[in-house]
Amino acid sequence: MKRKSSAKMLTAALFVSLVTAACSSNSSGPAETGNNTPAGGADGGSAAESTAYPLKTDKTLTYWAEIAGNLTGVKSELSDVPFFQDWQKMTGVPLKFTTVPATKGNENLTVMLASGELPDMIEYNWQNGFPGGPEKAIKDGYILKLNDLIDKYAPNLKKYLQEHPDVDKMIKTDNGSYYVFPFIRGDDYLKVYQGPIIRKDWLDELGLPIPETIDDWYTTLKAFKEKKGANAAIAFVGLPRPLNDFYNGAFVGAFGVTKDFYLDNGQVKFGPMEPGYKNFLETFHKWYAEGLIDKNIATADQKELDANFANGATGATVGNAGGGIGRWQPIVQAADPKAKLIGVPYPVLKKGDIAPFGQKDSAYSYGGSVAISAQSKNAELAARMLDYGYSEEGSLFFNFGTEGVSYKMDNGYPRYTDLIMKNPDNLAPAQAMSMYIRGNYNGPFIQDKRYIEQYLALPTQRDAVKTWQKTDEDKHQLPPVTPTPEESTEFAKIMNDVNTLVDEMTLKIILGVEPVSSFDSYVAKMKSLKIDRALEIQTAALERYNNR
Amino acid sequence: MDKSAASRAAAPADVRLRSTSGFIARFTRDFAINKYLYAMMLPVIAYYAVFHYAPIYGALIAFKDYSPMKGILHSEWIGLANFRDFFTSYYFWRILKNTLLISFYTLLFGFPAPILLALILNEVRGRFFKNFAQMVSYMPYFISLVVICGMIVSFTNNGGVVNNLLTHFGYDGQAMLQKPGLFRPIYVLSEIWQKIGWESIIYIAALTAIDQEQYEAARLDGASRLKQMRYITLPGIMPTITIMFILRIGNLLNVGFEKIILLYNSVTYETADVIASFVYRKGLIEFGWSYSAAVGLFNSVVNLALLIGANRMARKLSENSLW
Repeated sequence: MKRKSSAKMLTAALFVSLVTAACSSNSSGPAETGNNTPAGGADGGSAAESTAYPLKTDKTLTYWAEIAGNLTGVKSELSDVPFFQDWQKMTGVPLKFTTVPATKGNENLTVMLASGELPDMIEYNWQNGFPGGPEKAIKDGYILKLNDLIDKYAPNLKKYLQEHPDVDKMIKTDNGSYYVFPFIRGDDYLKVYQGPIIRKDWLDELGLPIPETIDDWYTTLKAFKEKKGANAAIAFVGLPRPLNDFYNGAFVGAFGVTKDFYLDNGQVKFGPMEPGYKNFLETFHKWYAEGLIDKNIATADQKELDANFANGATGATVGNAGGGIGRWQPIVQAADPKAKLIGVPYPVLKKGDIAPFGQKDSAYSYGGSVAISAQSKNAELAARMLDYGYSEEGSLFFNFGTEGVSYKMDNGYPRYTDLIMKNPDNLAPAQAMSMYIRGNYNGPFIQDKRYIEQYLALPTQRDAVKTWQKTDEDKHQLPPVTPTPEESTEFAKIMNDVNTLVDEMTLKIILGVEPVSSFDSYVAKMKSLKIDRALEIQTAALERYNNR
Repeated sequence: MDKSAASRAAAPADVRLRSTSGFIARFTRDFAINKYLYAMMLPVIAYYAVFHYAPIYGALIAFKDYSPMKGILHSEWIGLANFRDFFTSYYFWRILKNTLLISFYTLLFGFPAPILLALILNEVRGRFFKNFAQMVSYMPYFISLVVICGMIVSFTNNGGVVNNLLTHFGYDGQAMLQKPGLFRPIYVLSEIWQKIGWESIIYIAALTAIDQEQYEAARLDGASRLKQMRYITLPGIMPTITIMFILRIGNLLNVGFEKIILLYNSVTYETADVIASFVYRKGLIEFGWSYSAAVGLFNSVVNLALLIGANRMARKLSENSLW
């Protein structure tokens, strides 16, 4: 008897536990829209002149963010990163983090949004990482329109935007909605950080000048291959998209186009469908056929590029001053004490021309900006907390960390300590920075020029930035336009198919799988995928932007 | 759940030959007899109900414009728009063709491979060698897919082992995963390498069940080893082969997209992009939940049709079938 009933009990228990384990409640109430009146917070809503930090609160806020790529292999949880621990102390607001692995933000956001359980704050590229754009994210009830919150509870950000109307224009949608606490590059010097890089010692050894035109490059790369045995004379990272670093117009720019949308005399154009792109492909195909370009162009990752530099297979690439020259200089030097990497101008066709395109961020750099979720019960507190990054004290903290720990004041100049520059745990400066400060990657604050002055420790890095600044990018850059939710969704659909096609065409023609003449049929395919409609959408959005 | 009152009544009392042999009557009778067997089945049924049948309700979003904030029930119906989008999509024919081809090749080469291995191992006399060979062959199955793909990429890249070997025989030394024509062979061969040992286990088990006396009789009649294989071994494991084949057909379109995503790149899209990888790109990267659900549903329907078809065929051609 007893045995029998216990068997029954057991099976019943099993059944119940199985059912309850699998059933997740799906809240399906209609989303609040517009201005919700936030419950809780510090004190009942009298507009604070300037908030005194740390705030006093008994609440804990939830915060969703991707961890910095520099911390891969160092830390895996934001709650273990000293900067994030200190941030809570400084603002007085306890945070519960959801850590997303570096570069996996997109997939994770999809899953998180689909679950319907949103944290208070979501740090993400809301400008163009969400199909449908910021307006749609507000409309669908994911994130809040922040106008009232910023007006009432974010005096520091408000002040900055009043003083910088150009930035103010960028971080709004066409309807004038604020949607994030943005990452702002506080100085022109911070906006340029990428361009072509080359082994100066090889040039000197072979008696070659610094290459300026596409023809110079051809001669240079040929010499690298024949005289230095560089079998991947120029190499690039091929993931996640081929020629990743060409969006900004390196090499492509010489032919008057980029790999993306750009402005040409005020008109929006899409580079890969312009004749210039065909000439670029032709050139690159020739280089590839002659063995000047890395044979693994489509599959090479960062590690492979590092290895190519280390064993002298590569003498040129396109990369960043910090994460590029700063990363590879020690690698090449270890193999050859004379080795020296420098930044060189963006290539042009005619000697003496100024390159039309180059990498240059706008003052509002999209990634790492923080939205407050529409479900948050503590929107006011979140806004107060996020405003810290735009205050004087907060700006110092974000850019330089804690005084006496990660920086020391030196005649009013915040100087990084050895904890950052010569880390006792053998972390590279970039890694140490990502541990103790936030100046070297996007977040809700204003980036300080004094960070980059110290981060670019090598004179070659600082010179590189100066060299790369000499472009006409300003004339060609598309501002952060915001198509309407409907347009934006349509645009995302079209561009996904088009970009797949562009990547395919680019690689196939360069690798010689298909002849250069097939370019025209690809353009016809783009047209059948409605690229013209995408251009229309961008043009209309640009018009609205200019009329803001 | 079960009637405890009737549980004391011995079963035979309950078993009377009734004319009404309706399903319910039969079921209650059977239930009374095998109460505990049913109880033991419960967790299994519950597992399937909760994890495989309940989520089917979520497939509703294929016909809606799903917004998580409104929930599945409150999202707007949009009918077959997602399906229309998919069938008229620029890449539809390409991904369908790739899915079918890659599955077909995997079936064509991947299905017989473990059977051959089992037959070969069956002929091996040395016990030690046999065990060793088996172990080596199923080792790759336990290596994480990401690691396997990393290995494949570096082996086939310029400077990799396989690439260097082939360059000796006149290959041009490009990364092999940059050649659209090589993607499928690389995929299928690595698939076999990964799974051959693991999948041969079931056939080896089936082989041990064959009556040894048959072999003795055959040897007395002077059958060679090949003949023995053909007339005893193969027919002996034929039922297993048929069932495995049908199950395999049911998964025909479930090309493992993880592996594809780890191996493909823009150049090889034309031969490598399959329904699942397309859904991944659309759903996870474009937030197209509904669209992905629709495509996934289409995938399942085709799979079901293939499974039923394969089962019919198996019933016609042999006496083994799933149902």
